[in-house]
Amino acid sequence: MYKYILAAALMILPLSAQEVKEDMQVPYISYEIKMGENFDVIQAQCLMCHSFGYIINQGPQSKAFWAGKVKKMKVAFGMDISDKDAVSVTDYLYQHYGNGKLK
Amino acid sequence: MQRRDFFKKSLVVAGTAAIGSSLEAASQPIDGQKISQVAFPQKRPMITYSDRPPLLESPRDVFAQAITPNDQFFVRWHMPEIPTHVDLEKYRLKVNGEVDKELSFTLDELKNDFEPVEVTAVLQCGGNGRSAFSPIAGGIQWGNGAVGNAKWKGARLRDILEKAGIKKDAHWIGFNGLDNAAYYKTPNFVREMHMEELGDHVIVAYEMNGEELPYLNGYPVRLIIPGYYSDSWVKMLSNLTLTTDYQKLFFMDVAYRIPDNETETEDPNSHEKVKTKPITTMNVKSMIGYPTNDTKVYLNSHVTVRGVAFDQGKGIKEVLVSIDGGKTWESSILDDGKHGRYSFREFRYTFNPGKYGKQTIMTKAINKAGEEQPLAEDIGWNHGGYKYNGIDTVTIEVV
Repeated sequence: MYKYILAAALMILPLSAQEVKEDMQVPYISYEIKMGENFDVIQAQCLMCHSFGYIINQGPQSKAFWAGKVKKMKVAFGMDISDKDAVSVTDYLYQHYGNGKLK
Repeated sequence: MQRRDFFKKSLVVAGTAAIGSSLEAASQPIDGQKISQVAFPQKRPMITYSDRPPLLESPRDVFAQAITPNDQFFVRWHMPEIPTHVDLEKYRLKVNGEVDKELSFTLDELKNDFEPVEVTAVLQCGGNGRSAFSPIAGGIQWGNGAVGNAKWKGARLRDILEKAGIKKDAHWIGFNGLDNAAYYKTPNFVREMHMEELGDHVIVAYEMNGEELPYLNGYPVRLIIPGYYSDSWVKMLSNLTLTTDYQKLFFMDVAYRIPDNETETEDPNSHEKVKTKPITTMNVKSMIGYPTNDTKVYLNSHVTVRGVAFDQGKGIKEVLVSIDGGKTWESSILDDGKHGRYSFREFRYTFNPGKYGKQTIMTKAINKAGEEQPLAEDIGWNHGGYKYNGIDTVTIEVV
């Protein structure tokens, strides 16, 4: 009987002292994003830092909101984007994830 | 006429009152979201808003118990590059800035050279429940599950700083973790805390519910600041820097802020900038873990409602339950509070549903300072959708 308990304890011990020694793999999830004009810019710029899930799960928003997000990514987070592409990204986001309001 | 009244009336006139709430009011956050089929490392499958950075929410039924299991604990990162491996041979927690001598500690030194302290504390994202706000507030549309409660074990932050020697003019502590941005220009997720906020329960934790921290929750160590929203609980903590003056930081000065007025609300239709303040401490809240929306129960059966309640550490006095849509409220049975004032308190309430059809269950927590959880519709709007704490409601079906 005691032998069994000891055996069980030995089996549990290495587990409790366990460390993740090898690289952890963060899985990729594909988020369904709408296709449309300027999607290539979205793919090039937004995916650098975050998934499409980050866009989709903001909910439908105003044009000013999306313009503000693009500005935040550029000014606060250092996104390297031309003014023209910034407008394209805003237009895309508002067209596909907009709430119909400019402000 | 109050703005809100105006909107309620205009809604009725427009014949859209079926929405059920005024344009500026909150309602219940989204619930019953799909659980991903893909599990993240050391986690069970969870509600998954993003893979990069990982944003994982706990399903509602986790909140039927006081301690949230590590493998169902919510995850929220800000940067795309999180280390997928931490080499403990190389890992150091560095202390620098306004200290007598700069020091660095290995994980073993943090465990062995300091008195271990345990604190059970709620970790909640400031945007938990954001999806309740209308118009839709900016940010991830979290349901109820960006919150959890764990027993944390670690070294007191004060002990670590004192070992390095706190200089007289050190007033601020800056915290940085190992996560990195994709662009060099992106600000690190650095946080600051005033020395006055440094209580004995603020710890650098290396253990979560008796195990090492899951990677996605900040392995090998993270900061624990009981009573405060999780934006300052820096994960994979690597640096403690003492400074004389407050350092300007994006994640302190722009993000995680609410209107600096008594009600902490603002008018969504006004596009003027309001004066803001950091979200800091948590407000009183309860959540139902069982039953969940659309649960079916039999007529006259015994239904035991289970859930959790918490606040910033003033202590939960009671949790009231209503099964008649909020007309009458009854006390529930609270657990013995053995996990302390920063922990979830479990509550339970048993009733016999006496009518077929839909049955709502509402819960309202009240703390020892007399602060009550408000009705969702009485919660005003803020642009970041922070600090939602509406009375929780689930609707079940009696068959």
